[in-house]
Amino acid sequence: MENERVEGSFFNSPADRNFGDVMVVGGGVSGIQASLDLATAGFKVYLVEKAPSIGGHMAQLDKTFPTNDCSM
Amino acid sequence: METVAPFKEVIDEIKAAGGEIFRLCYQCGKCDSVCPWNRVRTFSMRKIIREATFGLTEIDGEDIWRCTTCGNCVQHCPRGVNQIEIGVSLHRVASEYEVFPASVRSARTARASIISEGNPLQGERKKRAEWAEGLPVKQFAEGMEILYFVGCYFSYDPRMKKVAVATANILNKAGIDFGILGSLENCCGESIRKTGSEELFKRLARENIKTFIENGVKKILVSSPHCYHTFKNEYPEFMVDFEVIHITQYLSELINDGRLEITKAYEKKVTYHDPCYLGRHNDIYEEPRNVLKKIPGLELTEMADSRRDALCCGGGGGRIWMDTPMEERFSDIRLVQANEVGAQVLATSCPYCITNFEESRLNLEYDEVLEIKDITEIIQEVI
Amino acid sequence: MTYTEVDSVEGEAGDFKVTLTKKPRYIIEEKCTGCTTCVEYCPVQYPDQFNQDISQNKAVHIYFAQAIPLVAYIDESCLYLKEKKCLICESVCQADAIDLNQTAEKVEINVGAVILSLGIEPFDPRVREEYRYGEFENVVTSMDYERLLCATGPYEGEILRASDKKHPHKIAWIQCVGSRQVIPGGNSYCSAVCCTYAQKQVILTKDHDADAECTIFHNDIRSYGKDFERYFQRTEELPGMRFIRSYTSIARENPETKNVAVRYSTPDDGVKEEEFDMVVLSVGLNPPADYEKLAEIFGIELESHGFCKINSSNPMETTRPGIFVSGTFQGPTDIPESVFTASAAGAQCGELLDYRRGNLTKERIYPPERDVSQEEPRIGVFVCHCGANIGRIVDVPSAVEYALTLPNVVYAQEQLFSCATNSAQEITDMTKEKGLNRVVVAACSPRTLEPLFRDTVREAGINQYYYDMANIREHNSWVHSKEKEDATQKAKDIIRMSVARASLLEPLQEYDLPVNKAALVVGGGIAGMTCALSIVSQGHEVYLVEKDADLGGTARRIHYTLDGMDVQAHLHDLIEKVYQHPLVHVYTDAKITDAAGYVGNFVTKVESERGITEIEHGAAVIAIGADVYEPTEYLYGEDDRVLTHLELEDHIVREEEKVVKAESLVMIQCVGCRNEERNYCSRICCGVSIKNALKLKEINPDMDIYILFRDMRTYGFSEDYYREAADKGVRFIRYEPEDEPQVEPGESEEGRPVLKVTATDYILGQKLEIDADIIALAAAVIPSAGTKEVAGLFKVTLSPDEFFKEAHAKLKPVEFAADGVYLCGMAQYPKQIPETISQAYGAAGRVLTLLSHDTVVASGSICEVDEKKCMGCGACLSACTYGAIEFREVKKDKKAVVNPVLCKGDGLCNVKCPTGAISLKHFTDEEILSQIDAAAA
Repeated sequence: MENERVEGSFFNSPADRNFGDVMVVGGGVSGIQASLDLATAGFKVYLVEKAPSIGGHMAQLDKTFPTNDCSM
Repeated sequence: METVAPFKEVIDEIKAAGGEIFRLCYQCGKCDSVCPWNRVRTFSMRKIIREATFGLTEIDGEDIWRCTTCGNCVQHCPRGVNQIEIGVSLHRVASEYEVFPASVRSARTARASIISEGNPLQGERKKRAEWAEGLPVKQFAEGMEILYFVGCYFSYDPRMKKVAVATANILNKAGIDFGILGSLENCCGESIRKTGSEELFKRLARENIKTFIENGVKKILVSSPHCYHTFKNEYPEFMVDFEVIHITQYLSELINDGRLEITKAYEKKVTYHDPCYLGRHNDIYEEPRNVLKKIPGLELTEMADSRRDALCCGGGGGRIWMDTPMEERFSDIRLVQANEVGAQVLATSCPYCITNFEESRLNLEYDEVLEIKDITEIIQEVI
Repeated sequence: MTYTEVDSVEGEAGDFKVTLTKKPRYIIEEKCTGCTTCVEYCPVQYPDQFNQDISQNKAVHIYFAQAIPLVAYIDESCLYLKEKKCLICESVCQADAIDLNQTAEKVEINVGAVILSLGIEPFDPRVREEYRYGEFENVVTSMDYERLLCATGPYEGEILRASDKKHPHKIAWIQCVGSRQVIPGGNSYCSAVCCTYAQKQVILTKDHDADAECTIFHNDIRSYGKDFERYFQRTEELPGMRFIRSYTSIARENPETKNVAVRYSTPDDGVKEEEFDMVVLSVGLNPPADYEKLAEIFGIELESHGFCKINSSNPMETTRPGIFVSGTFQGPTDIPESVFTASAAGAQCGELLDYRRGNLTKERIYPPERDVSQEEPRIGVFVCHCGANIGRIVDVPSAVEYALTLPNVVYAQEQLFSCATNSAQEITDMTKEKGLNRVVVAACSPRTLEPLFRDTVREAGINQYYYDMANIREHNSWVHSKEKEDATQKAKDIIRMSVARASLLEPLQEYDLPVNKAALVVGGGIAGMTCALSIVSQGHEVYLVEKDADLGGTARRIHYTLDGMDVQAHLHDLIEKVYQHPLVHVYTDAKITDAAGYVGNFVTKVESERGITEIEHGAAVIAIGADVYEPTEYLYGEDDRVLTHLELEDHIVREEEKVVKAESLVMIQCVGCRNEERNYCSRICCGVSIKNALKLKEINPDMDIYILFRDMRTYGFSEDYYREAADKGVRFIRYEPEDEPQVEPGESEEGRPVLKVTATDYILGQKLEIDADIIALAAAVIPSAGTKEVAGLFKVTLSPDEFFKEAHAKLKPVEFAADGVYLCGMAQYPKQIPETISQAYGAAGRVLTLLSHDTVVASGSICEVDEKKCMGCGACLSACTYGAIEFREVKKDKKAVVNPVLCKGDGLCNVKCPTGAISLKHFTDEEILSQIDAAAA
């Protein structure tokens, strides 16, 4: 998965420990994209994923159609 | 390639005969892939449905009569097309026009016999209880625990009479207070309905219902899965609701409750064939097996195509009365399957299955190889 | 927050209180380095969930090789957790990261909005015995097969059969497993992705084994997405590949070979039984597991299949305000939709929370950059084990030792995972401590981790271009896993090359470009207006440019959708909002005459009824929609009984007698596309025809309606309407492209003038002749007439089908390769209205990631022209795909000049330049030659 660089980090929370702007539930491709967009656009995001890693089902795929690019 | 136009009048007739469900078909071919016919010859249910869609059905052809109503396509159809309903509606249309191919004519004889004598086997009505002569079997009277509705084959067919006798013996052994209707009993009508004789079915059903009510019947025991099916699922169309139980269910119950005790072993390898109307149509898979498993010494083995996938014997949908060429009999394949798993006994619980299997047993010269038994016949030996 | 579940969401939009449970990993995340030593020692073998239980993993393990965060966790199979035994992991962990006494932790957080990206669950074929999954060893699901194909999968990328660990040679794919079926356990909808993923698996299988025999059993190939039709043809043309139009039954398993026999039916050959080495079940998409419980936790409603109930005029909206939905929880969809609906949900959070944007985040501050240009190179080399990925093959300590012998290398060390937070910190610290001025990390691909390490170097006060990456994983350990010694030698070679280059690296400056805060939206249809309104709701001005006199685009001709949306009401509402919003400036009857500039700083000239305007804007959105093909087929234009489906819809809405009173109406699909000239599927037409057929049946139930199709492509929930149409008596006849239906005027039996439509029916094996009063053609959606012109103006490219080409088919569906230019609606590809709306919001979300910043950074690695050497031939100008090079008049001569902002540093121009005047910074000839020399040394 091509990660974009995000200014301002969304894993570490600044001063207000438990205050955020948006909670994204689900760390698959859609959840990651939403989190990256929001963080880049100036919001603090909590990304909550039930599995031990983000990536979702897409991470399990070998390649994607129709370009046959790698999923990771 | 021939060019044809949709035939609106025929479409309307099929719809009127209750076959409109063809409209749902998206021609995926699933029905053909599970249809037993394609093990013996080419036959396409998909094509039958397609022809009905455009009113192009060959109403006088053989193909519309092939379906044995085994229900395998129905349980797999992804679009929810009820192929059996379509087939029956086509039979109704054909019956209306009174056009029948040669192989179907014998079914007309059965129909005539039902009309006159209440059974398809040309047995006399008054001789319906002849099988029970000399046995302690009473005429049903109000207050009895259960009515044993014997069924046509068990009443008249020499091979099947043995099953009726076995059943009566078991019931007596278990001390059941039961009775039969004798000549008051009529064909249940299940199979004749499938051949398109809707009015006759209705007449039979009404007569039977009337008899049940007049005799104060509450609970009905049947030997035939076909009787079971129609009593359970079709007679309620007449706003009645009798408790119906198939003999395999009843046996399982009696054994579990300790009313019937198995005292002897049966040292044979047995395989069980699921009749379509017991298994697929009514979801009864476990009880017959449970009964067999209770018998000491009996080794139960499963054939290929068992339970939901059970291969039809070829006798449903009125096919039992029609002529099927020797090389096109599913029952032959079934016997080979039983032999392949090393079974000495092919057990089942349906008069059509047994009739077809016995015939295949002769054709295949399997008389030394395989016995065909109704479950009751095995139980009779071990109590 | 991984391994975390949501317990409850209280409160309302703007102020939600969320309770979370962080499940115990039994690993202290901050301490774990992901070294996997514990995994090696753990005695418990347990089926690996990530690999679909095909292979074994340990009780303590990392979820998968590239997991984020890359830390281990311990699952329920742990001996200590079960019986208080073992504790081996605790004793082998050098980081003291194991804590088997961890318990679940409740966390409360406060947020203003929630996005649900809950995804899907693959259909479990065990619920239907007929698939024999779990019973026959060589029946696998497509998800299992993905893992089998994958290099990180159970057999390291070897496709092996479970029964004998041999390569299957003859493989069947069974489509629609769990989809398009109204039987117990199945789903009535189409899962929308399986047709194409099965084709992908075939292509990849053929990559593994060129002689493999592959068969896809299907009932309609649904190649409805962009480039899918070509992909389908590519698959079809593979040798040994068959597409068979039949659903199948899995008959039996061969007791000796364990091959699987499949029975199928074709009209020509009847039913056949065929054995395959392996059968892949193309399983569909189910809603997430426990969807009912999830709905309760989030307080949202579900639609009938268990997915999120959404509003088709805004598919990101759930029934609870402030909670949005994205991705496949909206319904079965493909990845690009998952991506743009994510951006779209982001945009809606942005609209809701714009007032607090930026309050909780802070910019990174880097230390001042040390000028090292006068120093001799002092290179530090960090060699990464990448857990076992490199370390197990390459002798890392010897590579480190070797690095120390290279010129200019003053420091070298090994690292377990250079990318781990603590390792990166170590690089920063050592750079400072040892006075390093150049850094080489020998690890993986720069594509993934170069940005991280540049950042690391920057943290140490060194210019980030003083960094080079030596790829000893993809280029070495992964491909030479069997040749350990040679791999170690190669690693040394790669490091030597990298060090040589690093010595010559130069510091480069990145540019901070100011961002103009306004956006230009080209196209005033549903896509353009939706996008514009979302942008202005987040505080930015929008210039909306429409070529027609009125806003609305193609939607002006559409009245209802399959799912019952009132399009005209929605359109009027949008138009009203657009005109009322003070930040939207609408230009109608407009034409763009010039577009110049670059990301953050565009200047576009617009001629409109307002005169000529020069608009300055930071972002541009192209939403120019599409046109409808004007058929030349089937007597269209010659006989007024032949209509396009748009015209039909218009007639239906006006209840025109000749249409609504017609006895018989025939629709013909795929008119003008899926052919040589337009080799794509227009995606929407199957749905549109069903929609119109249902409407006609509602008005006149007795009408005979026939739909002549090639494949019914009612993907997703539209499948339900396909069945409904069949249920209402609409008849469907499939035709083949080489045997198209014939239309000619004639007379019915009763003497009524009709159009005679003749088509072959493959099941009947006969030609059907149908009398039609009206024929409706599903005319193709074609690129808007203005496409090429707009593409030229904004310097963006087109796909082979001449729709606009997005930056990445999957992951960047609303962007162009050119920065600052975005894309949505039918301009990208035909799509349904709800899809257009989602994509429009998605583009708005992406626009905001740009406009919410005051500056954007442009790379320092760009091209530069040596004016003395340039002779003005222009070869570079035509090579550049970004329009980054222009001529400048210098003393009567023309000289090429690179616009540093537009240059992407791809170096295409360098190769074309006959005099070597143009060079690419950070990849200078000198730097590259030094690498080559080092390789040869």
